[in-house]
Amino acid sequence: MKRRELLRAGAFAGAVVALRPPMGQAQGQIQNPAQGSELTPAQRGVDAANDLAAPGWKPLFFDEHQNETLIVLSDLIIPATDTPGAKEALVNRYIDLVLAAEKPEAQKAFLNSLSYLDGESMRRYKAAFRYLKREDQDDLLHTLAYAKAGSGWTGEASGPDVGHGHFESLKQRIAGAYYSSQIGEKELGWDGAFAHGPYKGCDHAEGNHK
Amino acid sequence: MSGLFRLEDPLAQTYDVIVVGSGATGGWAAKQMAEAGLKVALLEAGRAVSPKEFTEHMPSYKLKYRDHSPEIARTRPVQKQCYACMEYNYEWFVNDLENPYSTPQGKPFTWQRLRILGGRSLVWGRQSYRMSDNDLKAASRDGYGDDWPISYADLAPYYDLVEKYVGITGAAEGNEMLPDGQFLPPMKMSCGEILMRDRVKAKFGRTVTIGRAAVLTQNHNGRLGCHYCGPCERGCSTFSYFSSPFTTVKDAAASGNCTLITNAVASHVDMDNAANKARGVTYVDRLTRQVKEVRGKSVILCAQAMESTRILLNSSTREYPNGLANSSGALGHYLMDHVVGGGAYGKLPDMKTTASANEPQRPNGIYVPRFRNTPTSGKHSRFIRGYGFQGGAEMDFNFGAEGYGTTFKNAVKEGVYQISLGGFGESLARWDNYVEIDKDLKDAWGIPALRISMTHGDNEAALMEDAAATAAEMLEATGAKDIHLQANVEMPGMAIHELGTARMGTDPKKSVVNPFNQTHDVKNVFVMDGASFVSSACQNPTLSMMAITVRACANLIDRFRKNDV
Repeated sequence: MKRRELLRAGAFAGAVVALRPPMGQAQGQIQNPAQGSELTPAQRGVDAANDLAAPGWKPLFFDEHQNETLIVLSDLIIPATDTPGAKEALVNRYIDLVLAAEKPEAQKAFLNSLSYLDGESMRRYKAAFRYLKREDQDDLLHTLAYAKAGSGWTGEASGPDVGHGHFESLKQRIAGAYYSSQIGEKELGWDGAFAHGPYKGCDHAEGNHK
Repeated sequence: MSGLFRLEDPLAQTYDVIVVGSGATGGWAAKQMAEAGLKVALLEAGRAVSPKEFTEHMPSYKLKYRDHSPEIARTRPVQKQCYACMEYNYEWFVNDLENPYSTPQGKPFTWQRLRILGGRSLVWGRQSYRMSDNDLKAASRDGYGDDWPISYADLAPYYDLVEKYVGITGAAEGNEMLPDGQFLPPMKMSCGEILMRDRVKAKFGRTVTIGRAAVLTQNHNGRLGCHYCGPCERGCSTFSYFSSPFTTVKDAAASGNCTLITNAVASHVDMDNAANKARGVTYVDRLTRQVKEVRGKSVILCAQAMESTRILLNSSTREYPNGLANSSGALGHYLMDHVVGGGAYGKLPDMKTTASANEPQRPNGIYVPRFRNTPTSGKHSRFIRGYGFQGGAEMDFNFGAEGYGTTFKNAVKEGVYQISLGGFGESLARWDNYVEIDKDLKDAWGIPALRISMTHGDNEAALMEDAAATAAEMLEATGAKDIHLQANVEMPGMAIHELGTARMGTDPKKSVVNPFNQTHDVKNVFVMDGASFVSSACQNPTLSMMAITVRACANLIDRFRKNDV
């Protein structure tokens, strides 16, 4: 559906500097319809972009080992190249924030995937994932990263390709967190402006579309 | 906004017209009646809205949850099912805890709505299509249901009027199922869409056209052309898409004849039983819960199809024990919502452009008008009526790329050219799809709430099954690979095109309103929103709803001039 597509596209494209300063209202204020401003934080101009980079940050949901594991894993899945990677984008902090607000089923599913990674690591290398040598981490991920032919991920904790399923759900979280960050937007070429009209569409000669 | 309106006690006078609801239809009713010199009270259940709360240019990384807030579900578990209910704007949508409704076991219905000045016109999908006599007189052609009592010729002048004011971008096609209109220049198609247009026409003879949308492609009526930032549903600082607060409601205010009463949760129509006429509307102040009555010589309900019907059902009197203007018993029945869930998507690997976060975002897609059961196609063996497709083809980032590390990071940027078509099918008008008052359930203002009972039937399922197959064959003809079919029937309400429940007709025994949206039973009560639809067709209905409102208003203005209200 186009409407849904546009929404999804909008989540990654478009965008810029807020057009007005924050209105000084406390973030996270309880919204009673009879008393509150009846505006979302975004509509009030609240800018939460730097919240996760605050000094003294502590996880809301993860324990220290889970947090450290996620940092190591995210750095392997989206490493720094000529552009910053997932570690610099603090994807662990964003995932922690979202998970803390999600339902127990979603929390459990994420932790199960993370634990699966550690379990496989201990089975093969006798150590948790974050303590492995980089090349062993890479070898382990490689065995999980590609779907084995003839098997599919069903979301159930069974079946021959369960490892790939756990990998994919961790990767989706990490990629979602990375590409929705300011670093991620820039990775996709975003130049900081919100609008780039007009929409030119196709200007190729007939029968010469590429 | 409110500063533009009259400031005296709004309840001290008797208005010529009370309009309930300030959305796409209510805005038009207020504008037309007020500009004709009549005194109008416009009731809106929600608060006023300001351009200061628009967020269309705010990048998602500034949001606490980057537009993936799990918190919305606490107060808006139903509303979050709407594509447009986002971390940016969820306060525009109703709080589900305050606005309950019930459904029978096994018959889920998602009712997605806003209570704020402008209603859903703030976040609508903007697609704007005319109906034709193939829709309005469908019963005569295939024997199912009832014809509308009006024809295309009755509506055409009002389509013209509405389109010229609203500003509809589109391309004329001369298609028998989709009458052309008063178009602003069409938006451009992408390469993939042009390929689809040409190859589908060559292979199947079907029309693929650029979407017709209520978005300005040039400056128009004091509003600026679209700047292609993308997310219209967060508001538009240039007012380039049509929403009532900044167009029709603004005009109504400028006339000096319209009093806007916000935070007025309409409860019921008050009757002068001796005269068999409405004398006003009772509402509950949204914030204080004070019960108030506004008096008027006529009442126009534009509250949204099911809300208008709810008001009538809650207005029972001794004379009308089953709901006001319900001597037919049809009030509440024939609820419709387009069926969605059938279509296909795939990739166009031959396209070699690159994705870019800086690309202009076209707030519009492509459209395939109905090609089943048309005068030229003949009758289909498995279903009646038909469906249209919305879709598109564009380069996007390849977030689904496999692997990890540098390989993955590069593959995302290389992108993938995606192509898709999603069907919107006609929802047949059926007596057993209906709303009624749930006697055990009240909203936060003490007003009895609705019980909604609706399912899509076999014909709707057959439409979506066919839509999956025809979408796939059109993608294949375009050259798409990795094509996935979807033949689902999504739950009713998902199209957000609720229609019917106070249907139009000439027979007072079978319908609620006459061809000018006047209730058969009570001469000065009108239902001018989507409730009056006799059939749903498969086109997005808002444009037709607005044209029907304006036509009905012209008739009512005439009645006022003849002193016949």
